[in-house]
Amino acid sequence: MIKILFFGPVADRVQTREMQIEFAPGMTLHDVIAHLGMQHPGAFSLVSFIAVNQTQVHDKKMALNDNDEIAFMAKFSGG
Amino acid sequence: MSEPVRIQTEDFSQDEEIAALKAISQRIGGIATFLGCARDFSEGRDVHEISFEAYGSMALAEMNKLRSEAITKFDLLDARIVHRVTTVRAGDNIVFIAAAAEHRAAAFDGCRWMIDELKQRVPIWKKEITPQGESWVTPHP
Repeated sequence: MIKILFFGPVADRVQTREMQIEFAPGMTLHDVIAHLGMQHPGAFSLVSFIAVNQTQVHDKKMALNDNDEIAFMAKFSGG
Repeated sequence: MSEPVRIQTEDFSQDEEIAALKAISQRIGGIATFLGCARDFSEGRDVHEISFEAYGSMALAEMNKLRSEAITKFDLLDARIVHRVTTVRAGDNIVFIAAAAEHRAAAFDGCRWMIDELKQRVPIWKKEITPQGESWVTPHP
């Protein structure tokens, strides 16, 4: 399974903070974005940062592994 | 002694944070601090409360990285970063940053750099609760 996390305004738009999707061999980050982006276009328009296993990633072709944790995040506003 | 980098719900004591820094070294000649606190007015609206949310594990890791980078980059003797993640009211403390160095310039520069980088790099979000409703804060430069 792949664990998906949403935070802040992205979580509000998706109306959940966490979900799981089935892992499939060969799955990439782009596959997950395409799948969830179709279901939640309003939320994904807010996504500015993506982290896989708590490290920010820029390469959407990145191959995923079973039990990965992906976070979709809007621009940060701490401080 | 408390950890130099923390995310917590409860308030912090600036005096205790500064005392912890001073206990590290007697070579410290200056400590610059930044205290972020909650305003009661923003973008033309009254603000009753501010609610924070964080990707806790990633935020803490990034804050630790920030502190280490600041110590190296500005030749600091030590630094501390504490951020509250809870709901605060006007006047409440939000974030405390302190940079200790032999001389003031490095302390000021390191402190400024850490708060600027924190706003860019640390996954924390704030939502303002106003009489008109709630809204997530758009990052400020």
